[in-house]
Amino acid sequence: MKHIEVMVIGGGPAGLCAALAASSLGAKVLLVERDEIPGGQLVKQTHKFFGSEKQYAGDRGIHIGQMLLENVIAEQDIELWTDSTVLAIYEDGVVTVEHEGKHTKVKPDRLIIATGAAEKFLSFPGNDLPGVYGAGAVQTLMNVDGVKPAKRVLMVGAGNIGLIVSYQLKQAGVEIAAVIEGLPKIGGYLVHASKIQRAGIPVLTRHTILEAYGNGQVEGAIIASIDETWQPIPGTEQKIPCDAICLAVGLSPLTELAWQAGCAMAFVRELSGHVPVVDDLLESSRPGIYCAGDVSGIEEASAAMVEGRLAGLSAAFSLGYEANEAKALQQSAMEELAELRAGPMGQHIRDGINKVKLKRKIGNHAFENQTEKSGIVKDYSSDATNTCRAEIKTSLINDGIPTKEELDAIYPSDKRLTEGPIAIVECFQEIPCNPCVKACKRGAISMLRDINDVPVVDEELCNGCGLCISLCPGLAIFVVDKSYSGDMALIKLPFEYVPVPKSGHFVAGLDRAGRELGRFEVVRVTSGGDKNKTFTVSLAVPHDLVMEVRGIRIGEQAI
Amino acid sequence: MRIDEHPVLSFERGEKINFFYNGQEIEAYPTETIAAALHAAGVRKLGESPELHRPRGLFCAIGNCSSCFMIVDGEPNMRVCVMKVRSGMRVEEQRGKGVVGI
Repeated sequence: MKHIEVMVIGGGPAGLCAALAASSLGAKVLLVERDEIPGGQLVKQTHKFFGSEKQYAGDRGIHIGQMLLENVIAEQDIELWTDSTVLAIYEDGVVTVEHEGKHTKVKPDRLIIATGAAEKFLSFPGNDLPGVYGAGAVQTLMNVDGVKPAKRVLMVGAGNIGLIVSYQLKQAGVEIAAVIEGLPKIGGYLVHASKIQRAGIPVLTRHTILEAYGNGQVEGAIIASIDETWQPIPGTEQKIPCDAICLAVGLSPLTELAWQAGCAMAFVRELSGHVPVVDDLLESSRPGIYCAGDVSGIEEASAAMVEGRLAGLSAAFSLGYEANEAKALQQSAMEELAELRAGPMGQHIRDGINKVKLKRKIGNHAFENQTEKSGIVKDYSSDATNTCRAEIKTSLINDGIPTKEELDAIYPSDKRLTEGPIAIVECFQEIPCNPCVKACKRGAISMLRDINDVPVVDEELCNGCGLCISLCPGLAIFVVDKSYSGDMALIKLPFEYVPVPKSGHFVAGLDRAGRELGRFEVVRVTSGGDKNKTFTVSLAVPHDLVMEVRGIRIGEQAI
Repeated sequence: MRIDEHPVLSFERGEKINFFYNGQEIEAYPTETIAAALHAAGVRKLGESPELHRPRGLFCAIGNCSSCFMIVDGEPNMRVCVMKVRSGMRVEEQRGKGVVGI
């Protein structure tokens, strides 16, 4: 039997960070990953991450995964087992693993469960036809294996996964018929919705899939509008020809091992199902077993990374490592989590965590005492902080297209517009994200309180240099220059498709809903660099269209 | 169909190999899973359900859901969504329950 101080189950964002944090304090760690390559879902996330620089915001998920894995491999105190599946956690704390084809026993002093989540399914006739995929499966096929999953896809679900995978499908050259969503509003970040709308992909809220049809595999779907009681409205049925249907209807925590280990579990809708009950330091009801990442509640990968770090610190700290340093590090991790969850988008997570805390107080007195060991964390969830936080109430929340009022409110003054180039930040929702603030070397972009605020551009400080365009993870920043020439104005926009246009090309200019407004000349194309990969395209358009053109399409006749 | 040009990713696939699907020779790359290689060749039906004999395809691609079970080199219940393809491998549709020989 192998003895180890800290064993981490799962090599995704939470597990990698847990292993790194525990070893950074001096603990000997064994990290066990089921897949051949650790990284979890990071290995297929080609988009730039949100959050703050502490969670590597602005970097693409794949690069964050590679960086974390390189750090794990370089760390002598971390032993990494890949292609190894944990089979069971026994009462005496022994963990059995299928490793190198053998049944292997491990006895860890501390255990961190970071098993992540799996995609939810949806029931409708034909849902078992080949061609009905989880959205994550489609990401794996295209972004890991480089294989197009289909020619034309119907995306079910407009949360972040549905929106992001639709964008990634478009980047891979796959057509998306529509993104449909049962809720009356878009659940994911609106900047993701805006990005796909201007690429011509419609987002239809209050729509559901009635059935998938096809002989032996998916050939299409029937969708319909639904009413307030979620019932299909007769007469609204539409036939959508497509060869794949992608389900992005949420994730379920993979909690089998937590159940088996005897951790106290609670059903919390806001955390997406049954989750292990954990304290502020992420220890479960079973002393010495910690849970981090999606296994204890579905959130963004940025939160999973911080939770992993916190669990790793807590596990190593409880073994007696670096007592002073650990406390400060735990504190800052808890503050990062509070900040990530502080905005309107984190409301359900805050509610969910509070529910679990309540259960803990009622159910288990011994466990309740453990919460006292945590320090005082800045309370981001208090009503005082939340009074200025507001959900979007206009049609922007339904389609991702900002209204005239919303746009007028952020446009610079007419005087400033005529004076020269200036950045327009079309980011209206309070989401935890701030790379734009760091991107501006002149300090022209700021946020009032924390990373959940919407960025504000100082029109005197901004010189329209456009550095922020390719650094905004939401691709929501544009630069407008009305001083370009007497007839024409310049619009600089972010571009992440192939082929990349060249200066002198004429391309279709698209509005925020993806409608063509005319064909315009590309004046300049600048690369964001080998790692950034986002191009900035400058387009000369008539003055009256410079506030309308927000995307481009390269048609056959354009080049 | 494989992706040749991508705005963010570049795919280093290595040398082409061949494997067998229901006896038919199919080209693949060693970096691909069996499921991905079959998809690239246009094969999406991987098996049949045990009782109603309905076609089964890939769903989760992370080795979690069991929808992609196939017979690989004679061994049933292989999760082809996480299993890398190898030269000369014999992959067959799994129909009915995968019975393991003792």
